Amino acid sequence: MLHLPRWATDCLKRADPALAQSDKPLVLWEKQRGAMRVAALDQQASAEGLSVGQSLSDARALVPNLETREIDQAFTGQVFADFSDWHSNASPIVSVVADHAPYGDLCLDITGVSHLFSGEQAMLAQLISRLEALGYAVDGAVASTIGAAWALAHFAPGQVLAEGEEGRALSYLPVSALRLDEPQIAGLVQLGLKRIGQLYERDRSSMQARFGASFLLRLDQALGWAEEKLVPRLPLVEHFAEHRFADPIGLMDDVLMCTHDLAVQLSLRLERQGIGAQAFHLFLYRVDHKVMTLSVNAARATRDAGHISRLFAYRAERLGGEYDAGFGIDMIRLAASSMSPLQAAQVGAFGVDDGAATLDHLYDRMASRLGALAVVQSYPVNTHVPERAVKLVPVLAAAAEPEVVAPLVRAPRPLRLLPQPEPINVIAEVPDAPPASMVWRRVTYRFVKASGPERIAAEWRNADQALSLTAETIEAAKTSGGPDGYYEEGTLSRDYYIAEDDGGRRFWLFRLGLLGIARKPRWYMHGFFP
Amino acid sequence: MLGDKSAALETLRQQITAIETNPALKDSGDVAIPDGFLATPRGSLHEVFADSLIGAGPALGFAFAQAKSLVDPVRPAILYLQLQSDALETGLPYGLGLKKFGLPAEQVVFVRPQTIIELLWAVEEAIACKAVAAVVADIGHAHKALDFTASRRMSLRTAASGASVFLVRYARDREASAAKFRWKVVPELSRSPAFDERAPGPPRWRVVLEKGSLGKRRRVAPDGEEYLVDWSENGFVLADIESRHGVAAVPRRPALPYAASAALGDRLSEAG
Repeated sequence: MLHLPRWATDCLKRADPALAQSDKPLVLWEKQRGAMRVAALDQQASAEGLSVGQSLSDARALVPNLETREIDQAFTGQVFADFSDWHSNASPIVSVVADHAPYGDLCLDITGVSHLFSGEQAMLAQLISRLEALGYAVDGAVASTIGAAWALAHFAPGQVLAEGEEGRALSYLPVSALRLDEPQIAGLVQLGLKRIGQLYERDRSSMQARFGASFLLRLDQALGWAEEKLVPRLPLVEHFAEHRFADPIGLMDDVLMCTHDLAVQLSLRLERQGIGAQAFHLFLYRVDHKVMTLSVNAARATRDAGHISRLFAYRAERLGGEYDAGFGIDMIRLAASSMSPLQAAQVGAFGVDDGAATLDHLYDRMASRLGALAVVQSYPVNTHVPERAVKLVPVLAAAAEPEVVAPLVRAPRPLRLLPQPEPINVIAEVPDAPPASMVWRRVTYRFVKASGPERIAAEWRNADQALSLTAETIEAAKTSGGPDGYYEEGTLSRDYYIAEDDGGRRFWLFRLGLLGIARKPRWYMHGFFP
Repeated sequence: MLGDKSAALETLRQQITAIETNPALKDSGDVAIPDGFLATPRGSLHEVFADSLIGAGPALGFAFAQAKSLVDPVRPAILYLQLQSDALETGLPYGLGLKKFGLPAEQVVFVRPQTIIELLWAVEEAIACKAVAAVVADIGHAHKALDFTASRRMSLRTAASGASVFLVRYARDREASAAKFRWKVVPELSRSPAFDERAPGPPRWRVVLEKGSLGKRRRVAPDGEEYLVDWSENGFVLADIESRHGVAAVPRRPALPYAASAALGDRLSEAG
């Protein structure tokens, strides 16, 4: 557990060097119930005797040369989340413990990791010293439960607690070390229960009645009687390869070269286990505690190192100017997820190469350069409403698409569909005759032939969204439909016509609303025939 | 001095022979034209022109029709490329419409790049794939990046790989390009289905082959070979050029003497 008591001021100082160099005490304030109150202090400010929760005007009166800023809670929390991701170069499971404050407490699961840093004590010292070198105030402790580690990091930092020692080590710490909320602490102190050790012998049922179940849970979690799980910020990866650099690297080409080496290592490991992966993630750990993540997906499970590194090369090309190595990258990790069995297959003498594998590779490359949503396939949907009868599914996700039985369409359908039906002005001989001419995009078309109508009724179950086509129709649905967009038979039905103009161009038009039922039927242009 | 000149001439001659013997650079006249009406050889770059964006349907239809004829079990895929910004103007190909057109929707993959550079990259990447039969690139507007050099590059790549590329363009003026075939597709009044003179029939296009040749010289128009074709699910059908005005004439007598009411029911053509 790492505790950064002055994270809010430290991260601001790192972002703004002028602030770091000034010798004025820094105070961050926020508005609480209409008053400006101190939310965070730096070392100097607390040495002056200021405290969190004080009103800002009091603080200014006490320390005249105070530097004050408004705190941006969302930004501070976000920067802390990125900062915690960076710690995944020390341990795979990292999480932010946000019980007490949204930022400031970082928990690393170092089970099976500490030997890489030659012991728990040495690892703690190493993690703390590298953060202190960056200018952060940091405390830390190692314990076998999250609650105990939290308590030690806050109230008795620097300790490494062996398993089973929690009861003894915590007994002298104040009750506020149990991650309780304010009223619970106040209640305990009122009863004279100031140290955790005093709680061990108490009657549990009466304590639960007085302080609630959460109190007992916190106590049990700290002592290791109840289990508490970490929620890792990054998904766990079982298969990865990583490389640490003695000197940080910066160029994208170097990164890609290293990626290729890692891909070869990873593919050997995957091959030994007979599995392939569909998703690959590249984590670039920058020296200034930021992590960049690049992900690529494959349409079918693969472990082809050349293919993987090519996908990352295309992905990096799309990155363009967003790539920023900062002061350099000192570690790269390539992880694989979405695993599935992939046995080595021999190319058969009589097998027919249907090209499916090469096509999948092509789609992978395109999706990595253009984005997964740019390579799509159209899939049928079980509905009659034309613009919803087809959906575009990324090719990479197409395998997961369930089989749908779409309604059989006998009537002709256009080759191109406009993204949105466009309102047009139509002249017909009599109101319910096929259209005789239309004005679309300020050009008049005279029709010589037309067939129809094909009537497509709205789906009553989607009546409220059926007409979110254009601003006018939304307005029309509001006024013509029943209260709250209830379905009203006929107002949302469409009559489709195929109309051919004197130049032989064929359009797909529809009239929204049945004559005699809808108050004001309107015409729309919806597509082109070949 | 003289020796230098003759040496230079010799190297030039060698270069010319090298170019001439390169199969990718052969004149279109030397390429074997496959059998079948309007069939084109594999691995060629086509330009399909429509006069304006309003003609988007027929030009795309013709390109898809040609692409369909190139599909076989070894090369099953057709790629359709369109800039995302163009789709807002002219719409995307519609899955059900493709099916009605005779092209199963699962055979076509839509690629939607954001810039023309990405689009050209995607075309090249697709050509290189052994399983792609044809690439249909729908280019709504003129772009600087799509110049003669780009088309030359594409033309060489297509010849080397065997996948065809169809650039669907919308303009009246023609830029210099290295395309082997240039088509112009103009919609024509369709032949009405039997028993319903007022309904549109199957698509009918006037296809002008402005550049390149299919070998059988049918010089009807002064600017190239010209065909009047109907499209059916099974392929092109040559419509009789001479009678095209006769068929398209206004029907002598409407099917009903008065405007038909919608209450008469479904008047969609029964004959398809």
